[in-house]
Amino acid sequence: MEEDEFFGEKTFQHHCSEFIKHSQQIGDGWEWRSSKEVLEVPLDDAEATETAAASEVIKYEYHVLYSSSYQVPVLYFRASFLDGRPLALKDIWEGVHECYQTRLQQGPWDTITQQEHPILGQPFFVLHPCKTNEFMAPVLKNSQKINRNINYITSWLSIVGPVVGLNLPLSYAIATSQDESNAL
Amino acid sequence: MAEEPESVLQLPSTAAASGEGLMDVSPETATPEPPSSAAVSPGTEEPSGDTKKKIDILLKAVGDTPIMKTKKWAVERTRTIQGLIDFIKKFLKLVASEQLFIYVNQSFAPSPDQEVGTLYECFGSDGKLVLHYCKSQAWG
Repeated sequence: MEEDEFFGEKTFQHHCSEFIKHSQQIGDGWEWRSSKEVLEVPLDDAEATETAAASEVIKYEYHVLYSSSYQVPVLYFRASFLDGRPLALKDIWEGVHECYQTRLQQGPWDTITQQEHPILGQPFFVLHPCKTNEFMAPVLKNSQKINRNINYITSWLSIVGPVVGLNLPLSYAIATSQDESNAL
Repeated sequence: MAEEPESVLQLPSTAAASGEGLMDVSPETATPEPPSSAAVSPGTEEPSGDTKKKIDILLKAVGDTPIMKTKKWAVERTRTIQGLIDFIKKFLKLVASEQLFIYVNQSFAPSPDQEVGTLYECFGSDGKLVLHYCKSQAWG
């Protein structure tokens, strides 16, 4: 594996901090938290959605953690009503874009597991990181080829986010290219 | 940001476009279409008038993804990224288990319901929008 594909903790932190800079500019709520063992970037995203019966507010939470075993970021997520009732995975699916639903329904537990959050100690759904290198590799290789830096977190989150209902604003893509021109 | 299921009604292009009124809304809807749909047509056979309903997209392959013989397409502004993904998958005859990703700036994957017209406004240059596509078995 080439050195540039190695995504160590320091690199994770650096890309997260660049990502958060832009988040602060547009006010979409990501922040950085760390404990001694775990590095994470949680997002509290309160969203309103209509159910069949009545209007209910559903709160989505997304956390980006670093997996030392896979050496990639991992997405933890959960959703709950404001009174704390958690949403089941199948309820979260209803908010997921159609194009992913068929795919994930075929074998959701291949890709989504439920795990205890390392810091919060509460159950979260986790998008399994085993394929991350596979879909990130072409993007990284390409960026090396054209000699352009990318923000790993931005690229990664733009790919996996929509699968679980998280859509990054386009301004993140523009922010990345501005970083590049500043760096030149 | 409630995620609505893909509705059958195709909304006319709104703030994404330069604000000029469209002559007509394409009768095509968001339902699955065969690759020969007029919403995505090869080349730029449309004369550039005052109001361009379609935008030019240049598709480039990344990694081991097969290269499309036709790279330049005229696409309706309201076509979504997901619609474009479906189109390319059919064109390249990918199997269902293969995922296709589309990137702007060679690094960022827009949301599936993002309209190409908006992307063109943000990332287009020299009269076209360059999109990179990449196939992968991301899950399963």
